[in-house]
Amino acid sequence: MFNSAGSVERLINQLARLPGIGRKTAARLAFHILKSTREEAFELADTIREVKEKVGFCSICYNITEEDPCKICRDPQRDRHTICIVEDASDAAAFDRVEGFKVLFHVLGGRLSPLDGIGPDDLKIRELLNRLDDHVKEVIIATNPNVEGEATALYLSRLLKPMGIRVTRIARGLPVGADLEYADTVTLTKSLEGRQEIK
Amino acid sequence: MIIRNIEINNFRNFAGLKATFEPGANIFFGDNGSGKTNFLEALFVLCLGRSQLGAADNVLVKQDSDYYRLEGEVAAGDNRHRIAVAYQKGSRRRLAVDGVTARPAELFERFCAVSTGPEDSVILSGPPGARRMFLDMYLSQLSPRYLSELTDYHRVLSQKNAALKNEIDPAPFEPLLISHGARVMVQRGEFLNALKELSRQYHGEIAGGEKFTLKYEPSVSLSDENNTGPGEIELAFQRTLDEHYEKEAYLRTAIVGPHRDEIFFEIAGLPARTYGSQGQWRTAAIALKLGVYRLLKDRRGGAPLLLLDEIFAELDSNRCDRLIELFGEFSQLFLTTATAPPPQLITNGCCYKIVRGTVENVS
Ligand SMILES: [Zn+2]
Repeated sequence: MFNSAGSVERLINQLARLPGIGRKTAARLAFHILKSTREEAFELADTIREVKEKVGFCSICYNITEEDPCKICRDPQRDRHTICIVEDASDAAAFDRVEGFKVLFHVLGGRLSPLDGIGPDDLKIRELLNRLDDHVKEVIIATNPNVEGEATALYLSRLLKPMGIRVTRIARGLPVGADLEYADTVTLTKSLEGRQEIK
Repeated sequence: MIIRNIEINNFRNFAGLKATFEPGANIFFGDNGSGKTNFLEALFVLCLGRSQLGAADNVLVKQDSDYYRLEGEVAAGDNRHRIAVAYQKGSRRRLAVDGVTARPAELFERFCAVSTGPEDSVILSGPPGARRMFLDMYLSQLSPRYLSELTDYHRVLSQKNAALKNEIDPAPFEPLLISHGARVMVQRGEFLNALKELSRQYHGEIAGGEKFTLKYEPSVSLSDENNTGPGEIELAFQRTLDEHYEKEAYLRTAIVGPHRDEIFFEIAGLPARTYGSQGQWRTAAIALKLGVYRLLKDRRGGAPLLLLDEIFAELDSNRCDRLIELFGEFSQLFLTTATAPPPQLITNGCCYKIVRGTVENVS
């Protein structure tokens, strides 16, 4: 390869750090960016910069937002007695599309996964406990129905139950191995209707 | 289940070949190293998408090639299906049934195959992992639920091990470890109980008087061996975990659970692993596999594919003769031999010769 490839190499390295992107794909993306026009490439760079400058995390629920606190946390029409706990902002967005389910959310920012080095301290769990006051009557744990999501749900329920709050878990009607963020609204609605108390 | 035909490309030492088969015995001659075992392996991979020898896909690809492909037609009951298994180096193995992409577990749900060969001695004589591999391969065919519980169990286990290594509290994973693990153990217990009786019968028929028995030895110690329901096992599992809590933290690895299970075999009143001979191990392994074949046939309502690699090699002629008498029971079987097979077999079967990666029908 040509000598001035240092920056290309750097781009490949950075892309390869994104989740789900291997080195091979990273190289393909990098060369795609190289071949695109200046305008296209700069637009991508600007968008990334803009997102980082404008969008941050809500200091209450840790959802992504352009204002702090976020729209959902500021919305007076919401059921403020119920908090739905999700792994990621994309899951919160999916549940928020469900008709008649206007509750508060709490975004953990991941799931327990020691394989990825993620333990309880790496999730917004302490922040969740700090939020729980007398207003909160029910916590719905809506983590994914896989091994990591279940472990996270069990961990949370053991923390929350002694506090006298009703703790429920969304039903298993979800297709096994499916991601919540891609589930259709009908499926999500059913999973909420069928939610059960964790014993 | 009957295999009608197979087309092999770049698999082990086969560059490309097509072969068609008949019900009954299909007998493959060939010198050592001609590829007889590889041929049986191709049939097994076609059925289940996995090698009975535990070989990884990149090992199965022919030297100097970067992919392998197997395609064949099988008949199960009144239905015929085309199965295709393809692997390209650097990507995932792809499976398809009748042109539709299939999940790995799907082949286990729809087809079944039993294989026995020289490598099987390790089930009797080798490390515990060899016995668990045997258990998992065949119990997964008997029960798709077992395969899914086992997959989840191993996922939880690797999370727990990672937690222990990284000094993260493993406690959130333990209720799942216990619930998936207990269901794995219940099924293993039932399977081995049924297999104990059947393999004892087959062993008696092949070996004459010699006694053969087996016993499931779970890593979780049960206080009452007769009470092996899921509830009792979960309690015992929790108890054993509590007892080993400090040891696991110190070793930074999970040492309690079905991933440490054992099967104890006894031949002629002696522990097989320490006292057995090659011939005894081989006979016992064949009896086990015939037992598995019977279980699969009875419970899944269709005969599995049966692959017998060099089964006459280490058995004396009495045992060979009695084994051949059993062959009438099987709807289709594939058998390899380096030496001339007994004449009574040839009259009822189809013969093929394997020479340097080619197969020729010589009946
Ligand atoms: Zn918020």
